[in-house]
Amino acid sequence: MLSSTNKPTSIIEMQNVGIRYGQGPEILSDIKLSLRKGSFHFLTGRSGAGKTSLLSMMYLAQKPSRGTVSVFGQNVNFANRDALALLRRKIGVVFQDFRLIDHLSAFDNVALPLRVCGMDEREVRKRVMELLQWVELERSIQATPATLSGGEKQRVAIARAVINRPELLLADEPTGNVDNDIAPKLMKLFVELNKLGTTVVIATHSEKLISDFAYPRLHLQNHGLKIFAPNNSAELGGRHV
Amino acid sequence: MSNKTVFIARHEELPLKNNSTSLFLQIMVAIAVFLFAVTLSGVLSINSMLQNWNESILGSLTVQIMPSTNINSEKAMAETLAHQNKALEVLNNMENIEKAQPLTDKQLEKLIQPWLGDGIDIKDLPIPRIIDVKIKKGADIDFMDLAYKLAQATPMASVDNHKLWLNKLIQFADGIKILALSILALVIMITSGAIFYTTQTSLGLHKYTIEILHLMGAKDTYVAQQYAKRSAILALQGGLIGLAIAIPTIFGIASLAHQIEGGIIGEAKLSSFDWLIIVGLPAFASVIAMLTAYYTVKQTLQRLM
Repeated sequence: MLSSTNKPTSIIEMQNVGIRYGQGPEILSDIKLSLRKGSFHFLTGRSGAGKTSLLSMMYLAQKPSRGTVSVFGQNVNFANRDALALLRRKIGVVFQDFRLIDHLSAFDNVALPLRVCGMDEREVRKRVMELLQWVELERSIQATPATLSGGEKQRVAIARAVINRPELLLADEPTGNVDNDIAPKLMKLFVELNKLGTTVVIATHSEKLISDFAYPRLHLQNHGLKIFAPNNSAELGGRHV
Repeated sequence: MSNKTVFIARHEELPLKNNSTSLFLQIMVAIAVFLFAVTLSGVLSINSMLQNWNESILGSLTVQIMPSTNINSEKAMAETLAHQNKALEVLNNMENIEKAQPLTDKQLEKLIQPWLGDGIDIKDLPIPRIIDVKIKKGADIDFMDLAYKLAQATPMASVDNHKLWLNKLIQFADGIKILALSILALVIMITSGAIFYTTQTSLGLHKYTIEILHLMGAKDTYVAQQYAKRSAILALQGGLIGLAIAIPTIFGIASLAHQIEGGIIGEAKLSSFDWLIIVGLPAFASVIAMLTAYYTVKQTLQRLM
């Protein structure tokens, strides 16, 4: 944690953020958060606590009902559509429901973030092949999601999230469907990316995952956000983490 | 697995090729281009016809000598010819007139032949004599002055500068042109409307994929370009089909028009440039389709997402 006088470079900054759907009650209230560049956090909370809503604000799929959200120093409340698109290119997301495009092969799904940036096709091929080999899907490059198992789909989703070497990686239950021998390998990938400077937030229910890795925890409870030091040792008072 | 040994075909992120609306769009554009081509050929023909009329009429006028009412036909003819000579004298003395040439008996017989048939001797008939007057190139004739001088020389002469006749024809042709242009505007609107609604329908069908593309950092332009490219190709294909049907139709109409006697419609011909415009219609339809799809996507995405 850094003191307020020595303000770190924030990747995500939230001020008094609230989210509500329609006229319903606020799911998240008065969220104050500042994620430091290069940090690694778990995001926890019971089902329905608002983890997915908080993540969706972070990956710019949703704007807050109130308060301000800044991502990479840009206030997203006032950013135009093109500016949001450029910000999203710096963010990799692993969705709980994978969100793969059904008619595209594993290769094309993983290549998406590179192609929307207009990357040269030879470079796309090189990068995608390398990553698919790394996640042990080199035999399934032409396979469509319908023919892949849950674990394979999740590995495709993870490969797609990290293919453009994002500055911010957000993952919603990324190891939920993978085999026990693959899960540590994927976590190792996230840790390695974090060491290279990527800010990582992983939403999870897995106590094992949280205990195996000593990273601070963002915990959603009673519509609010609490920040805990690694391994639940103590609640952190400040909002810069 | 080596990268070099694997061939990976790139698939379109948005599966627009298999879209059920593609065939509808092609048929719509084919019909539009067909109507567009046939109507445009009509407009361009009318334009060329008007131009021909203008060119041939602007440099000429007609002086008509009314026949004498003498009961004796020989005397009547002699009197009429005397009036014609007086008028010719006036005309030949005017500086802006290049040539004043009375129509011969044979020419007059040819003129009235469609109404009275063959074997008519005009000497027996009280018909007017006609003087064809050619005006010097670029010269400006004061018609009031000419009419006054002719009236002084002979009361039987009258001047027709064809303007009344031409103006009526121009009005008629303008009416046809406005009607044709209205059809063209309607065709463009219907085609654009069809593209607008098929694009919107398709956006609704592919909303999930487009959301994912946005989450990956795609701008609206990225999606719009895919729709624009697809619409342009479909419109070009449909347009070429429409043109392939339109060309023989235009020749068919032209052939029928030439069979109409009187020569007026026969002057309606398409130049090479006119044909170039007509042949370029599929490309024009393709551009319209491309732009309509592009801006429909941009506008719809801003509203939907």
